[in-house]
Amino acid sequence: MILVENLVKRYGKFTAVDGVSLEVPAGEIHGFLGPNGAGKTTTIRMIAGLLKPTSGRIVIAGHDLAREAETAKGALGFIPDRPFIYEKLTAGEFLRFHAGLYGLDGDAVEKRVVELLGLFELGRWEGELVESFSHGMKQRLVMCAAFLHRPRGVLVDEPMVGLDPRGARLIKDVFRQMAKNGVAILMSTHTLEVAEEMCDRISIILGGKIIARGTVDDLRAAAGGAGGGDQELTSVFLRLTGGSGFQEIPDAL
Amino acid sequence: MKDAFPYLLLPTFYAARNRARRREAGDGLRAAIFGGVGLFVMAAIFGVVFWLTWQLLDYEELGEYLVRLGLSWLFLTFLSFVAFSAVVTSLSTYFLSEDLRLVLAAPVPPTRLFYSRFARTVGQSSWMVVVFMAPVLLGIGTVRCAGWGYYAAIVATLVPFVLIPCAFGALVTLALVNIFPARRARDILMLMGLLFAIALVVLLRFIRPERLLSVQSLPDVTAFFATLQSPITPLFPSFWAGETLFAALQGHVDALHLGALWSTALAFVVVARLAYGRLYFAGWSKAQEARKARFTRLAGVETLARLVPARPATRVILVKDLKVFLRDTTQWSQLLLLMALVLVYLYNFHILDLDHIPYMSGLVKNAYAFVNLAMASFVLAAVAVRFVFPAVSVEGAAFWIVRTAPVSMGVFLWSKFWTGLLPVLFLAEGLTIVSNQFLGVDPFLKVVSAAAVFFMTFALVGLAAGMGAQFPRFAAENVTQVAGSYGGLSFMILAVLFILVEIGLLAWPSSIYLWHQFQGLPLQGRHYVQMTIAFTAALGVCAATFWLSMRRGIRALEDLG
Repeated sequence: MILVENLVKRYGKFTAVDGVSLEVPAGEIHGFLGPNGAGKTTTIRMIAGLLKPTSGRIVIAGHDLAREAETAKGALGFIPDRPFIYEKLTAGEFLRFHAGLYGLDGDAVEKRVVELLGLFELGRWEGELVESFSHGMKQRLVMCAAFLHRPRGVLVDEPMVGLDPRGARLIKDVFRQMAKNGVAILMSTHTLEVAEEMCDRISIILGGKIIARGTVDDLRAAAGGAGGGDQELTSVFLRLTGGSGFQEIPDAL
Repeated sequence: MKDAFPYLLLPTFYAARNRARRREAGDGLRAAIFGGVGLFVMAAIFGVVFWLTWQLLDYEELGEYLVRLGLSWLFLTFLSFVAFSAVVTSLSTYFLSEDLRLVLAAPVPPTRLFYSRFARTVGQSSWMVVVFMAPVLLGIGTVRCAGWGYYAAIVATLVPFVLIPCAFGALVTLALVNIFPARRARDILMLMGLLFAIALVVLLRFIRPERLLSVQSLPDVTAFFATLQSPITPLFPSFWAGETLFAALQGHVDALHLGALWSTALAFVVVARLAYGRLYFAGWSKAQEARKARFTRLAGVETLARLVPARPATRVILVKDLKVFLRDTTQWSQLLLLMALVLVYLYNFHILDLDHIPYMSGLVKNAYAFVNLAMASFVLAAVAVRFVFPAVSVEGAAFWIVRTAPVSMGVFLWSKFWTGLLPVLFLAEGLTIVSNQFLGVDPFLKVVSAAAVFFMTFALVGLAAGMGAQFPRFAAENVTQVAGSYGGLSFMILAVLFILVEIGLLAWPSSIYLWHQFQGLPLQGRHYVQMTIAFTAALGVCAATFWLSMRRGIRALEDLG
């Protein structure tokens, strides 16, 4: 469903993404992990069509993003990490605008808007300006927009940022249900518990390159398995990405 | 130093320093243009004041009286200007600034916060007044060969003179935010200020001050100035400032009025500090409280959009742009200002009395038709840079929504073009047709002007939309910043060049026609060929400007990132 081949992004001499390849089949929730500055958001933004790759190929639902950009984008829903939306539109107006961008029109849109606002507990805010929304409400509104056109693939950058526990639980349930319905979900996150709980497979990116990929158990094995088969994903992640240096913290404090 | 209030001003200083160090493309050009225009305006003010004061030297006592009265009125005008400006600025500096959360969460004593913000308020609301006052006061001083005491008095007068309205403005703001939410108060104030400015411009125009320059109306001048004196002015700081400087001009020191200025200024600042000590936190908290935003539904926009024969994407972009535009008070307040200026523009043509020019009135009228065409085109370019050029940039951080949607950048930019074109075309045609009607120009020129403006509007709106896409400023805080950017200035330069080329290409064949008509001679075949070539070239330049700009704009959007 989402296919990425040898994706490269260079900014001058700096290579942010260096030959990333991955595939997310229909019905899979794929976690995309990595430390800050590893190239996660750059990769996600290239797949969303927000950044032009230096080289490589992105295929969404069988459509090459470079050649058939509109068809490919039409099959995708994108949820960015920061929900910047038009502050002077109401929630309902924003969703109708979004529907129009995806070529949807008519009564079916009205029904879908009401349905999604209800699902994300924003029904009574439909007629309010987005500028009066909290961060979490904006995030939920962006999710409504991303699911409005029934995408076959979903790209999520840090889904849980700004959400309260109830909202986070709702999102997890929605993602699971969507995956069951055959939607491919590529999710970048820092919250390892979320990745461990939800993802069928995980790719770990470091320095712009994929350094490990597989199920949580595969990653545990790849990390050396010294901590046993039940070690937490955090330890696995730190071992794989070389992130330590905690010894200095007590002194610094 | 860290305990003194100027320490809190360091971020502003550092930001300005870093901005100066890390120059962006076009910063030099922008600084040169704005600096050049600023210096030119200051020099012009100096020149006019120098000349006026020089003329008044001939009238001895009356001249002295008029300088004194003039100073008092000048200061009164600026007193009201600074006071209003300080109210609006205080709303930002004390209640709406993004950095306030950081400062208020830190252990900063209220007095330090008050003084640091007050310094910013004084700087932001009075710099323009000081810049304007400097050439005026220097002009007067130069003509009167004033000594150093006069220049020292300028500094000693201006400092307390700006402190008083700034402290007053800060106090008014404090009262306002304790009654209304801060953002709502700002909207109301902006609108009031704008309506006041519009009323002033329209009123000044309808009074027709140019009548005072004609010889026949000389007795009116005395009556005009007599009406300027008001019994309440001696109670105002503007009167004290005028008197202090007038005394300094004559080599005296007016300790009474200077003392009144300083003591009032210090008293106002102390009262403001005490009031902020008591009421600031309550006002700040109120400004933070979530408010239910009031807005208009604008359902008519959607009904109208359904009638537009366009694909859903184009239609929803149109609806979104119109709603966002109409709900933004800063946008429609600009529209009101534009309407006032259009009114003044047309009124000027209405009262233009060209029939009094002997023998040549017909020819002058027709030449004026081209001046009118050029002026209407400049208005058009100014409107385009303010409303069409920022059309892409105003998407701001929300542009990801369109970019990730299955909508080509072509559809997006064309939607912006059509949204901008219709109102601008309506305005441009209205201006040209009505003003040509007032002028009474030849029917041939009326048709040429109306047709020329039609095609020039396409070209200028295309140029604005296309260049706006090539030089977007998604991080800009407001539309004015986008219009004043490197891209905006480049657009204005290209627009002016385009207008000059067009006027040249249109004026030449028109002059052939009019000259033959004036002389009563028939046009020959080669004249028709020349006229056709020139008009076709004008049309070609319009088409090329329009098409190339849009194409380059679309390509620039496709290459983003």
